[in-house]
Parts: sequence; structure tokens; C-alpha cells
Amino acid sequence: MSDILRTIDLSKRFRKTVVLDHLNMIVPEHSLYGLVGPNGAGKTTTIKILMNARQPTEGMAEVFGRDSRRLSPEDFTQIGYVSENQQMPDWMTIEYFMNYLKPFYPDWDVVRAQELLRLFELPPDRKIRNLSHGMRMKAALASSLAYRPRLIVLDEPFTGLDALVRDELIEGVLECANGATILISSHDLSEVESFASHIGYLDRGRLQFSEEMTSLVDRFREIEITLANTSQSPISWPAAWLNTEQSAAVVRFVDTQFDQERTIAEVQRLFGNTHHISVNAMPLRAIFLTLAKAGRKAA
Amino acid sequence: MRQALHIFKKDVRHLWFEIALAITVAAAFAFTGARRALWLVDPATNRTAAWTLVMILLPLAWWTLIARVLHDEALPGDNQFWITRPYSWKNLLGAKALFILTFINIPMLLADAVIVRAYGLPLAAEMPGLLWSQVLIAIVFILPIAALSALTTGFVQLIFAILTPCVIALGVAIVAPEVVLGGFLGGSDWVKTYYAFLVMSVAASAILVWQYSMRRTAVGRSLAGAAGILAVLGMMLIPWPAAFRIQSWLSKQRVDQSLVHVAFDSGNRWLTRVVIAGGDRVRLELPLDITGLPPGMIARPEGFSIHLQAPDGTMWQADQLLLRNSGNMGQKFSLEATVDGAFYRKVKDEPLRVRGSLYMTLFGNRQTVRVPFEDRSVPVPRVGVCSATGGANRQSYFLICSSAFRFPPVLVSYSFIQSAKEAVQDVWSSTEPRRPISYSPFPAELGIIPVSQDFTFSTVSVPLSEARVDTVEPLAHVRRNFEIDNLRLADFEVHPAAVSP
Repeated sequence: MSDILRTIDLSKRFRKTVVLDHLNMIVPEHSLYGLVGPNGAGKTTTIKILMNARQPTEGMAEVFGRDSRRLSPEDFTQIGYVSENQQMPDWMTIEYFMNYLKPFYPDWDVVRAQELLRLFELPPDRKIRNLSHGMRMKAALASSLAYRPRLIVLDEPFTGLDALVRDELIEGVLECANGATILISSHDLSEVESFASHIGYLDRGRLQFSEEMTSLVDRFREIEITLANTSQSPISWPAAWLNTEQSAAVVRFVDTQFDQERTIAEVQRLFGNTHHISVNAMPLRAIFLTLAKAGRKAA
Repeated sequence: MRQALHIFKKDVRHLWFEIALAITVAAAFAFTGARRALWLVDPATNRTAAWTLVMILLPLAWWTLIARVLHDEALPGDNQFWITRPYSWKNLLGAKALFILTFINIPMLLADAVIVRAYGLPLAAEMPGLLWSQVLIAIVFILPIAALSALTTGFVQLIFAILTPCVIALGVAIVAPEVVLGGFLGGSDWVKTYYAFLVMSVAASAILVWQYSMRRTAVGRSLAGAAGILAVLGMMLIPWPAAFRIQSWLSKQRVDQSLVHVAFDSGNRWLTRVVIAGGDRVRLELPLDITGLPPGMIARPEGFSIHLQAPDGTMWQADQLLLRNSGNMGQKFSLEATVDGAFYRKVKDEPLRVRGSLYMTLFGNRQTVRVPFEDRSVPVPRVGVCSATGGANRQSYFLICSSAFRFPPVLVSYSFIQSAKEAVQDVWSSTEPRRPISYSPFPAELGIIPVSQDFTFSTVSVPLSEARVDTVEPLAHVRRNFEIDNLRLADFEVHPAAVSP
């Protein structure tokens, strides 16, 4: 897999506020990359820099291996971008909007455009200003999928949408992706966990981790140990253990680098004999909460 | 190009109402402007209120159209749908330029052509003025608003961007008018104006290219601010002699100026006066004589600089003051300078040495055109067209001259002639320049109204045969130095008569 999007030590400051802090992120080709993080984490800023809508303060962003500041109109013929707060030409009808965009894209597929309008149940003769938020997002998406882009960038596309519309949008994207690389940002993990192949967690402008979903789920475990003897807390907890708690005979923590043999050996080194060790897989939401809490504690 | 046309078509579809409005106003401008050409024959055609309204609406319609079309793809911000679409900035800018050209410049060009024709002016001869007038309209009325529109996202921001410098300029103009307006440079004032035009057009074009190619609004706004300051500073600081030097460089230089001299008019030494004015100021009047002018040529003083030096080295200098009130035009005139009262009191009994420079324009190539009282237009070279009419009962006579796109860059004088037996009697004539003259080498001056008119009349009770229009053209702009030795100012001191209560 080659990298279709990449940021290298990307930083963005608004006066004294650091929004992105030496961000290094890679989105492999054909991946469905979920960029998640709390509000204000820097997701939208990252995407805007990637789309050359904003300029970085330091570092650089690359799209298709090209500095995002040098993106040409030809590059944009291969990019479909949809954002929750995108300003659309409100005076146009959906049909006129689609027809207006058609000449900009050499690969515009008229049949597919019609199918997308049908799929999203968009009334062609309705003006964009008269559409609901959900319908506007659908219109934006339809206009971004009709030319089979190589890269689809969706910035918080589901914000303010009800579950039904959200599912319709997801279905639409997945149905039309056809091997395209998709970068989707969201502050809500549950919106992307069901279909993302890769996940990146951004918090206060720093990428906490970025990896494939399968390896992420594999390396996080919630561990509970029942000690044979009441024991002192270890002088220093291993760095990979987060949310450590200890009562008289029970120790709980989250191992972020779980490996059956190594983790048990580490437990025994620190606590001696144990009555029982319980190892539980963690849902993605729990992983994120753990990371978020650990991040705040560290800050 | 295809993309530019595609965007252009979209803009036309979207802004059809604004376009219709702008074209309607342009048509109204052409109609009312053309009708005004007939006002001498039919005063009912001179609908001043409608004309004034159109003159106000025309720039407003342009600015609305410019702002609307540029804001359709607003440049500041990062949420516009089009910035992540395959727009080529050159095509986008081209589409906007095509739109403005199509719906502002071309209608205005046609309207101007209609008005110029209505006044009887030959369109072919006026073509340079017609085209240059469009360039000036673009520089002053279109480019700055387009640049500001490229730096704003909507009308509110745009109005704020327009009003802020206006309010600042107004405030400064109230406190210190010379700062905003600078000194009036007489016939060379166009140098200052064209400097501002140059700064405006370069800055506005740079902002447009910068914004469309880079969309870095903060830099664009800084550039706009810097250009505004540069324009105002230039207007304030361009010295009069510099403007005159540029004017000299551009002058036709077809005359031998080597014999032209300026000297103190010692034969009329008694005309020297030192008037004790109020405010601790003294007005010095010196008679000067210009000699060596080639036959048929007249000199018009434009300005001077003067140094008064006492034997002990004390010096007073009037740097390049404009000659506002020369006694007359021709070979003899009175130079008027203001001297500081304290300096005067100190040196008035000393024999002073006066050194000065006189800046003059030499006029020649007189042409006279006869205009019969026949209600028909007569072409007058350098001016345009003139027509003369005898009023009711032949007791009042009118002469009206129309010029396209600028006041004529020549001195014009009029006379009404009575042909009595063999003698031709000059019943009335105007020899002084009737209006400010600009030596600008360009075929048009800034203005929305394409035709300017000069009107004169006579109410003599004798029958007149014709009117005459005399013109002399500026041939050279020259500077000559002069010196006066041993001038004792106290010898010429006069006090203004006290005013009785």
C-alpha cells in the first residue's frame, strides 16, 4: 500500500493557540481511515490543510505525494470532499448543481450521478437553500461521488444527522467507494468504528496513535488480577499500563501492548503469585476512553 | 477558456437581475445623456433630476454587480464548496473579468459612444478618448472595488472596507485638508492623479492575482492598506517642481526656447509693492518681464521659487509656491509671494539680493474657427464641436462648445463679431482662460460624463455676424531663472487702507 495522504511534522497555530502540534499521519491507499478525537482536537484543521483550504504554520501535508499547497485542479478531479459546514451555492437546484459541476470532471459519470440522486432520494428540481441539513449533506456527497474520486474526504459528515440519514450516507459511501481511499473525521467513535479499516486518534493537535483497527483491538486488554497476598503497589507501573487501580487484593489496568506471555511475566515480576488473572478484550469505545483519560491525566 | 465560459454562464444565470438592473441604468445614462445634447434647442430635454439620479445609480449598479459576481466564489474563508473543486484560478479570474467587461465596460462604452454622437462629435476622432475613458473607469471604479470584493466575503464586509478609509480620509481632511488632497499642481495636477491611478491599478491587480492564485487574505489586506498609504503619501509628497519636470519632459519641444528670458521689469519698477498683510505676513509683488518669445507665442506663468538674501546672509525662501495670482498672461506680469513678517522687519532696510525661478508654459499655434449663428455644429480642432445661435429677435447670442472625455488641453477664447460695412468689430471677447487647463497627455480625464461643455452668450443689441473660437496649444514647459540686486523692500511698503466702520 502506498500512502495517499501524509502529514510531516504538521503544525498549525492561530496566534498563540496551538491547534496541530507536529502531526505525523499516514493514510494508506485503499484504506478507510477514521480520524477521531474530541471537539477541538484539530481534525478539521488537518483536513483543511490537506485540502489546501488552510495553510500550515510548519511542516507539510501531502496528497497523492504532492505538497497540499501545490494541489492543482487536476488533483481535485480525483478528490471528493464533503464537510458538515460546507457553503453550497444555495440558489442552484440540485440538478443544476450536478450539471454545473459535470464539465469540471473528465470522469463525471452521468448515469452514476442519476443513480446517486435516486439512492439519496434527492429531488432534482429543489433549490439547495430549501434542503434540510441531511439532504444538503447527501447532495454534497452525491456531487462528490459522481466522478469516482480516488480520494474521498469527509469532515464530520454525520454531525446533526439522524441515525437513518447517517446510515444512508454510510451505505452510499461504501457502495460507491470502489477501492477509493476514504478519510473520515468524527468526534464520535461509534460513527466510524463499524466500517473503518484504520483509525487515528487526535487529541489537542497530537496524534495519539494511528493504526489498523485489527491490531488496535488486539493490543488493548483490560486486565484484572486477584493477588495471593496483599501487596504494595509497584514503585513504577509499566508505561504500557494505563488506568492503573489497586485495592487490597485486586489490581486493574489496561495493557496497551498486550501479549499473553509477556504481560503475565510482567505481572508476576511485579506482584509475585496471583490467585487469578482475568484478561478481557475491549470495545473500541473503551479503548478511546482509556486513552482520553490517560491523556488528560498526563496533561 | 472553456471553464471560464462555463463559470461566466453560471454567473449570468445567477445574477440576471443585477445584470438587467445595471444595463437598464446604463441605457438610462445613454438616453438622458444624449437628450441633454439638445438642451439648448429644447430645454425640456435637460432633465437634471433624472440625470443626477442616473449618475448616482450608475456606480452603485456597477459596484453591486462587481461585488455580487466576485462574492459568488468568495475568496476569503475555507468553507466554500468551490475551493475543493477543480477550479483553475486563471479561469475563475478570467470568468469574472469577462463578466465585468461584458456587463459594465461594454455597455458603458456603447453609452458613451451614443452620447458623444448625440453631441455631434465625430466618433472616429474621439475613439482614443472613448477607449482611454474606459481604462480610467476600470482603474478607479472597477479595479478597487473588485480588489476589495476579493478580500471580503459579503456586502457588509465590503461596505465596511469601503467606508473605513473614507471615514479616516474625511476625518483627516477636516483636521488637515492639505494632507489628504495635497497641493493643487495646476495644469500638471494630472501627474499626481495618475500617480494615484498607477498605485491603485497596480495594487488592485496584484491583490486580485494574489487572492485568486493564493487565497491568502491577510496578506492581500495588508497589501491593500499599504497601497492606500502609498497613494495618499504620494499625493501629498509629489513636489510641484517634480510634476513640472515630468511635464517638461513630455512637452512637444517644437520651439526654440533659448532666447526666452525672465527679468525684473525695471521699467515698471514702481509696480513693486510690499503689502503689510495680517497674520504677520507680508505680500511681495514683483513685476517681471518675459522677453525673447518667438512671434505668435505667449507665456503662461505656472509657478515660481524665490530666495531673498540680506547682506548678512539672512535668507528667506519660498519654495516652489504655485503662482496663484499672476497679474496677467503674456509678457509682463506680477509675481506675488508671501514673506514671513519677522524676516521682513529684520531685512526691510537692507539691499536684498533676490534669486528666483519662473516656471512657464509657452503657448502657440493659434487657430481661429468661425462659427456662424446657424444652429449647426462646427468642428473646432483641439476643442470638439461648437455651435452658435442667435436668440429671439436676434438680441441675444449663444455659443456652446462640446468636448469629449476631457476639457481641451488648449487655451480657448471666444469672441462675438459684428460685421459692419468692411470693418469687423470685436463686440465681446474672452481672452482669459475660462476654465482650468490640464496638460495631461492622455485623451480622457476621469469622469462618468463623457462630454463637457463650455457656454457663453452675449446680449448686445447690435446684430452679430458670427462667433469665433481661438485656441492656442501648449508647446513647451520651461523654467527660467532671474535675479534682482539691491532691492530695498521698505521703499515699496504700502499699508492697506483702513476700513471705515
